[in-house]
Formats: sequence, structure tokens, C-alpha cells
Amino acid sequence: MEKEYKLNRLETTKLMGPMVDKHWAELRTAKERGERVGWCSGPMFIFPYAMDMKCHFMAGYAAYCAGRGAAEQVLEAAESVGELLDTCSYHRLHMGMAAAIEKNIPVKEEVLLPMPDLLIIGRFCTEMSHYAEGLYRRYSTPVVAVDMPPPQDKEDIARLEKYVEGQIRGSLIPEIERVCGRPFDYDRMSEILSVLKQACTLRNECWEFAKVNPTPWTLWDYGVSIAPIFYMMGKPESVTYYTKLRDELAERVEKKIPVMLPDGENYRLYWDSWLPWAFLGKIIRSFTKFGAVPICGRYPWEFFDHPEDIEPEPDPVRNWVQLYYTKSHIAYHASTKGGIDLISKLVEDYSIDGLVMLASKTCRFWQGQVPIINHIEKKYGIPGILLEIDQADASFYSDAQVDTRLQALFEMIDGRRRVI
Amino acid sequence: MIVAGIDLGSLATKTVILDIDATMLSFHILRSGPVYHGVAETSLGKALDSAGLARDDVAYIVSTGYGRRRAPFADAEVTEITCHARGAKYIIPEARTVIDIGGQDSKVILVNEKGHVVNFVMNDKCAAGTGRFLEVMANSLDVSIERLGEFSLQSQQEVEVSSMCTVFAESEVISLRAEGCAVMDIIAALHRAIARRIIGMVGQVGMREKVAMTGGVAKNIGVVRALEYKLGTNIILPDEPQISGALGAALIALDKVGSARDRM
Repeated sequence: MEKEYKLNRLETTKLMGPMVDKHWAELRTAKERGERVGWCSGPMFIFPYAMDMKCHFMAGYAAYCAGRGAAEQVLEAAESVGELLDTCSYHRLHMGMAAAIEKNIPVKEEVLLPMPDLLIIGRFCTEMSHYAEGLYRRYSTPVVAVDMPPPQDKEDIARLEKYVEGQIRGSLIPEIERVCGRPFDYDRMSEILSVLKQACTLRNECWEFAKVNPTPWTLWDYGVSIAPIFYMMGKPESVTYYTKLRDELAERVEKKIPVMLPDGENYRLYWDSWLPWAFLGKIIRSFTKFGAVPICGRYPWEFFDHPEDIEPEPDPVRNWVQLYYTKSHIAYHASTKGGIDLISKLVEDYSIDGLVMLASKTCRFWQGQVPIINHIEKKYGIPGILLEIDQADASFYSDAQVDTRLQALFEMIDGRRRVI
Repeated sequence: MIVAGIDLGSLATKTVILDIDATMLSFHILRSGPVYHGVAETSLGKALDSAGLARDDVAYIVSTGYGRRRAPFADAEVTEITCHARGAKYIIPEARTVIDIGGQDSKVILVNEKGHVVNFVMNDKCAAGTGRFLEVMANSLDVSIERLGEFSLQSQQEVEVSSMCTVFAESEVISLRAEGCAVMDIIAALHRAIARRIIGMVGQVGMREKVAMTGGVAKNIGVVRALEYKLGTNIILPDEPQISGALGAALIALDKVGSARDRM
């Protein structure tokens, strides 16, 4: 009889639902309290946070919307006002939400946010321009765009850092000061970075536990736990959360309690690109029936993987840009070369058996997935597959296609283990 | 003792019966039909009949293909990727790249000297460039699908079908017919369009000599020639390319029986 696998869910991650709900509820009601609201794509939301604006984060909203089972109806609202299916599903979710507000298209109430006083675009892909242009043209939303080109090689990094810093100081901060009617609060930004540093240091301790075999947690658990170190950054609850998580993981390791019951994982996997927010439950079930767990990934690792580089003083703005470019190289990891560097390290550190690359139908941000699979296969003898789906749009998802590719990956791994 | 491999494809269900020495005793190909109901049992029964064997003689069954879970009596199910690689490698030991074009999917598989899959790429959930695509085009041109290959080799003039979407390509075919283009030329254009799509997939994994082709579309000499031209190499064809997946499944069944025996 085939072994039946079951995920052993962490108690700490169950705390995340209420924390996330609180964040979005505060955002929904911000204007009633006379607070300023920002919408943000990319990592620039720390600047409105420093000015106590309530701010939403583009991918975070997609995860929230999908989690509430509202993505399909919001995407339908977008299509009804002419948004093309081939464009970024994150972008379409926002255009759909705006259309639902404007035209009273029925969607779940809790996913409707107040229209922003300022749209802040971290333009690391061309779709961000369409997002900004669409909202500005249709709703006259004030926009400030910070061009953040991903470096293709390490020699690009210093030049790009200077370019991005110049835009933040010359355009973004003055625009936020105009919207808020007061000078930018550099001290508050430093405080946020201090809390972020504590939370990320704890998070890295949690990552260390994933190197253990059997692992006490999965990338799915970490996916659920990203919010405190990203769009909920700077809140004391983020440190409390990661302290609890670290303690629970330490206890599991000490007592040899695996995340994959009954006796640990069969396959340890790397996951590339966005997490599949709209189908997380389906994907988790597809992995679990084979005893497979994703352990690490390029997107989840872009959340400040080197907390020692976070320096709240003396210049938080400079430090913020450095985190993306010269110090932690976060932006570089999206490129093919940077991806190969990072993924090679993850494969070695986390004893990875195979790669699963979400090749998004509507996002071109993550580069080089095919060459990366080929490179890693040659270097480590580890196979990889592409899952041609989307992170938010269910119309691009097929159970049979995903199942066949996953099963084929596990058969390739077994072939290398001489099982088949 | 005998084993069976059953490949439940979208258009056809194939069964291969092997004896303990991996000698093929019989095979059977049957149209899958819309719901797969009973097709695996029927195909297995007919393959056993033609070998003069009974169901009780079968020690192990492996199912494969998109309908692999519709054979509840199978002892194990394995993907068509692994099975096609294994089957093709068995028939053509020197094959390192296997192009498989079946009813509703196409895949390019890199195989190592042991018959293990090194890497693969598949088409996504669109039917472009598959057997179903050709079936729709054949209907549209009122030509039997079996004759598409020989007709395309008679093409005199190059015309272009640019779309690989089955629906749009059908519109293009109808337009070309309306313009008076010869059926042979249109069929050749369709075969080149399929070859273009497959070449892109070969590029993703990187072609390694030698190249074998399996799946029902390998019976279409027009597609094979178009692919050979684009790849710049000869393609080796099994005698019966449609049963490679079922053969691979049967070989895996033999392995399973062997490992069970080794454990005893």
C-alpha cells in the first residue's frame, strides 16, 4: 500500500490570519480616520510607512485577494473594462478592484480598498508602467514612479544604485512630503529598519532549521510568514511572530517532529518565482501526496536575506537602496546570472533534490528559468521542471498539466536514485 | 510470467504485453473515446487475446498517459514522459533526444545512456502542434489523417500557415482554400508550422544526437521530414511509434516485478 503523507501544520502560522486581516481592515478604514492612503508596487512602501500613511503592497494584495477567494471575480471585473488577459495578473487585480469601486461591480466587500492619494511605482518591470498609466488615466490618481531596473550583471549594480537613490531623493520623498504636508520622517524610517533587522535576524534562524532533514517546516509556511517582514514591516508584532516561530521550529527539531508526516519528506525542492497565491491549497495537495516539500526559493529569499546589511543609521535611504543593489544583491538575483548564483548556493545549503519553476503566464520578471534548469542539471545532476501557470489567474491553471509535470519530476529524481 | 503496459492517451489507448525476457508478445491500439470508460480493460483484453493469454497470467501492470488514473486495476502509474523515454531508448538504444507528439501533447525528452530522463519540456494546455491539431485540419481539408503525410510530400508551392492555435489555424486553412491554394501545399504548410513549434521546444532542452520520434504523429512522414529539415539531422523512427509509451510502461512493470523478486 502506498504511503499516505500529511502536512503537520505549525501552530505559529495560524496566528497570521488575524494579523493580515487587521492590516487590510486598517487600510480599508484609513480614510474614515482622515489618514492618507498609498498603493505601492515594488519595495518603496517603507517611504509612505515612515510618514504614517496606510499603504498597500501590490503582491500582498494579490495574495490577500486570492486567499479570500475573490481573485476570479476581481479579474472578471478587470476584463469587463477592457483589461487584456495577457497582461500582468497583479496589475489586472488592481484595475479590476478600481473598476468594481467605480462601476459597482459586485465583488467581495473585504477586497475593496480606498482609492489611493498616491500611487508609488517601483518600476522593475514594464508592466508597472501600464499599471501606473492605467490608474492615472482612468482615475486621475497621482503617480510617482521610481525606475528600478534589475541588474543583469554585477558591474551594473553600483550605477543602478546611484540612479535609484537619485529618484528617491529627487522625486519620491518630495512627492510624499507634498501629499502629507510635512517633511519626511527619516527617524521613523530608521525605527522601521531597526525592527525589520530584528525580525529578519530571527527569520534567518528559522531558515537554518530548514537545512535539517527531515525539515520541520516548508516554503509554504514561510510564504504565509512573509507579511511581517514585508508589507507589515516595522511593527513590533513581526518580532513577536518570528520569535514564536523560531521557538516552535527549535522544539520540532529537538523532538524530531517532521513537517511531513509520518516520517519526513520524500523530496526536498527549490521553488522559483512568485508563490502561487490563487492555488496554494491545490498546489500544496499536489506536492503533499508525493511527500514533497519546497524548502527555499528565489522570490521568498528576496526579503532581506542578509539582515546584517540592514543599517538603520546614519542614512536609512542610502541603506534601503544598498540592500537592493550593492549590499544584499536582492535585485541581482532576478537576473539569469544572479539566479544561478543564488540557486546554486540554495541547492547546496538546503540539500535540494529538484527545481520547480513557476513560469508565469502573465509575468516576465523572473529571468532565465530554462537556462537555470539546464545549468543546475549539469552542475549538480538535479532535474527541474517548468509549471506554466500563473500566480493569480485561475484561467491559466490545469490540474492535469501540473500533476503530470510534478510526477515526472519525482520520477526523474527517483531515476537518479535508481528506484525506477 | 508476463507484464503489461497500458498507455491511455487522449486519442488512442495502447497496450503492450511483454514476457520475462522483455520480448514483445503482442500489442493493441484502440481509440480512447471521450470518457475512457472500460477502454483500458478492452485494450488489455484484446492484447492478451492476440497473444493467447489470460488476465491471470499478468503479474504486473503499469498504466501511463493522461488517462493513467482511469485504469484502477493497474499496479502502478507512471507518467508518459518517463515511459516514452524508456520505450524509445529500448527500441533505439542510441537515442538521446526523444520527440513525442501524441494526441493532445507534444514533448521533447532528453535521455541518458541508462534510459533515465535528464530533462524534458512539454507543450502547455494548448493543443497546438499535436495530433488533435492535425485531426482538426484533416477534417477541415476533407482528407483522411492517415494520408496527410504522403499528400504533403507532393507539395509544389510554399504557402504559409502562421498560427499554431488550432482554431485560428483552421481559419487560415479555410482562407487558403478559398484563395485556391492546393491542398497538398496547405498540408505541407501545417507540417512546417508544427516543426517550428517543436524546434522551439528542442531548443529549450538542447538537442543531443541521436534523435528519435515517437507518438502517433511520427507516422506522418510529412511532419517527420519537416522536422528533419529544421533540425538538420535524421530522425530515427520505431517500427510502431505509437506504442513506445506502453512499451516503456511494460518495461517498468518488468523492473517492478524484478525488484519484488529480488526482495524475496
